[in-house]
Amino acid sequence: MGIAPYIIVSSILFVCGIVVMIARKNIIGILLGIELILNAAALNFVSFTKFSNSNLDGQVFALFIILVAAAEAAVGLAIVIRFFQIRESIHIDSATQLQS
Amino acid sequence: MEYSLSTILPIVLLPFFAFVLNSFIVKKFTKTAVTISCLAIFVPFIYALRIFIDFVFNKYSADYYIHKTFTWFDLSSGSQIFKVQMGIYLDNMSAVMLLMVTGVAFLIHLFSTYYMHDDPRYGRFFVYLSLFTSAMLGLVLSDNLFSVFIFWELMGFCSYSLIGFYYEKEGAGNASIKAFMTTRVGDVFFLLGIVALWTTIGSVTYVDIYKAIAENSLNSPVFLFGLGIPIATFAGFCIFMGTIGKSAQFPLQVWLPDAMFGPTPCSALIHAATMVAAGVYLSLRMYPLMDAGGLLEAIAYIGGITAFGAATIALVQTDIKAVLAYSTISQLGYMVLGIGVGAYNASLMHLITHAVFKACLFLSAGSVIHSLHDHHTHTAVQEMPRMGGLRKKLPYTFLAMLFCTLAISGVPLFSAFVSKDRILGDALVMATRSSVYLIPAILGLCGAFLTPFYMFRMMFLTFFGEPRDADLFKHAHHETLSFNRNIPLLILAVFTLGFWYSGSLTGQGIGDKVFPDSKYEWFQVLVEKPVLSKFTSRTTTPLDVPERKEFIESSHYDPERGFASEEEEHEVHHIHQMGAIASIIIALSGIFLAYCMYISKKFSPAWWTTTFSRWTAALRNRYYFDHFYVDVLIQKGLLQLNNFLAWIDMGLYDRYAVDGWSKVLTLFYSMSRWFDNIVVDSILVDGTGISVRFFNIVLRTIQNGKIQFYFLVLLLVLAGYVLGFKPVI
Repeated sequence: MGIAPYIIVSSILFVCGIVVMIARKNIIGILLGIELILNAAALNFVSFTKFSNSNLDGQVFALFIILVAAAEAAVGLAIVIRFFQIRESIHIDSATQLQS
Repeated sequence: MEYSLSTILPIVLLPFFAFVLNSFIVKKFTKTAVTISCLAIFVPFIYALRIFIDFVFNKYSADYYIHKTFTWFDLSSGSQIFKVQMGIYLDNMSAVMLLMVTGVAFLIHLFSTYYMHDDPRYGRFFVYLSLFTSAMLGLVLSDNLFSVFIFWELMGFCSYSLIGFYYEKEGAGNASIKAFMTTRVGDVFFLLGIVALWTTIGSVTYVDIYKAIAENSLNSPVFLFGLGIPIATFAGFCIFMGTIGKSAQFPLQVWLPDAMFGPTPCSALIHAATMVAAGVYLSLRMYPLMDAGGLLEAIAYIGGITAFGAATIALVQTDIKAVLAYSTISQLGYMVLGIGVGAYNASLMHLITHAVFKACLFLSAGSVIHSLHDHHTHTAVQEMPRMGGLRKKLPYTFLAMLFCTLAISGVPLFSAFVSKDRILGDALVMATRSSVYLIPAILGLCGAFLTPFYMFRMMFLTFFGEPRDADLFKHAHHETLSFNRNIPLLILAVFTLGFWYSGSLTGQGIGDKVFPDSKYEWFQVLVEKPVLSKFTSRTTTPLDVPERKEFIESSHYDPERGFASEEEEHEVHHIHQMGAIASIIIALSGIFLAYCMYISKKFSPAWWTTTFSRWTAALRNRYYFDHFYVDVLIQKGLLQLNNFLAWIDMGLYDRYAVDGWSKVLTLFYSMSRWFDNIVVDSILVDGTGISVRFFNIVLRTIQNGKIQFYFLVLLLVLAGYVLGFKPVI
């Protein structure tokens, strides 16, 4: 079994994330899409490391990505909460202005 | 006497200060002003007398001269030298001229206190006289042509003002303008000559000009209408044109007879004795230039034609002053003839003798005119046909006038016999040497025959015979001896005697005792042609350094100079003797003819005028010169030229250039309006707004703040990049 199934899965994940990011109007949904993309990238790292050489660089990167994704989700959710307090909405199209 | 600027300049400055002062005080203090004017000429007269005695008796030498300069203004910068210097040039000729001018001017001032006394503008007359005297003295003392020109024009102005002095009189204003404009023709040439010399030599002082001539540096040609003329000829001609204008020579003689509109003393001073003689004086000063330019023959012709032509016109004049005016022109013609035949000394001598006797003649005429008052028209009478028999009423005037008339006629023992005969003698000598001079000599001799005739005609018509206007004669006051009427006349009359100028009654004698070296008369030794060689060694002297020659004990005059041999000198002497005898005969026959016509009535003047009626008409109309100038030159020539120029101005310039230009401008304006409306307003101004709005729309559409839109764009760009489209940015 080669690398192709991994790449396909990660591609599907990536495309799903992109679609979610573009199509969803809910900010939390968009954050979910970003999580999907990050996961697709992490999956790529791991699978390329597995098939190219024997060290664990990819896996380490995947761990970092999970860490960064968690931090990013925390920050993103904090922004969303603050945004909701101001606008009473989490619709993405209500965030077109730089100031409140 | 120590000569420096401060001791010589007062001669010029005293009358000038009198002029300045008098022009302010003359209205209120007329008498004081007149006294100041007379004093301001008397003191220079004493000065001039001292200088004259000093030059003639103490420092006697023909080539002694004093030349002192001061800088008038200095515009030099770096190597560019432009420095105008003024100065005085005093030699024997200036000394003689000074004495003559101051003496005659003083006597005329004195006479004017009588003649002008009842005039409403009594004081103003003296103001002009002072200015004039100052200018004339300045001209005599000038060391360069530039200051000569300044004084020359000042005199012209005074002449203009005094001719128009009686401006109420019809014609006086026109006469003054005519005199001014006619002399202006010559003056323009004179200025041209000065400029020509200035550009060639870089200086216009006499000594520098003489030096340049001696070094032959005036031979470079100037190109005029394609003809190369030596600069000496060109400058000499131009300066001689100044003489022609000022001294009323042919063909610019027309102004002098009209100048008789002025008061008689001013005619005596300006239009007989000094100003008109200034032209001759200038030509004498510039004699070496004329000689170097080869103009002497032409000058002789001008002089001969003037001397004869003016004498013929004088034959038919009835106005006593007009006779004298034409006589003046004629005598000035003799002086110019003298210059032309190289009789330098004789020409100056005639200038001096003529100034004395012609001033006296004019003053006498003034005395006659003043005594004849027409009670019907309340004017003074100048017409000779209404005079006659006046010698009983005016004995002193008659005596003075008789002396002067004898003098001008060239009767022996009188002054013109000495001076005019030397001119005619030299003319005859030149005529025997070169046939070119034959015509001027003959014209001069014919004029010498006419001179006594018309002068004695005037005498006989005025003083002899029966009174032709009994009423006028009855009202004429009997003359009593008065100091300001008769004394000037009598003093001048005394100086018409020949021995003052020749040193003896016969022309030889006393002179031998004063100057034992010389067998010539004192005047002949006094002035000689400028010896150019003495100027070549002259280097440019620093300023204000007195240039004095050593005291010279004996005369440097070399009587043998100019004669190749003993025989030639003998021959010249012989011709002079023949000329003298001929002119005595001519003078006496002229007087005799006048006697026959007007006293014994053997020949009737009426017969001559009817037989030669066309000639008489020509003479009465002054050879139609005035007609020619007015009707042909001015009406046909100048006015046509004016019309032509006006046509160019209005028909061409105004019509095509000015109006055409306005059309061009209108077109240009409409074009620029179009440009303004279309290009500037519509495209640039509005276009800026439109483009801003356009980009506004574009940018607003792109930058809409929708994050998903940004993301989509980002994705598309990335996708394009991956698929091989190079993005622009």
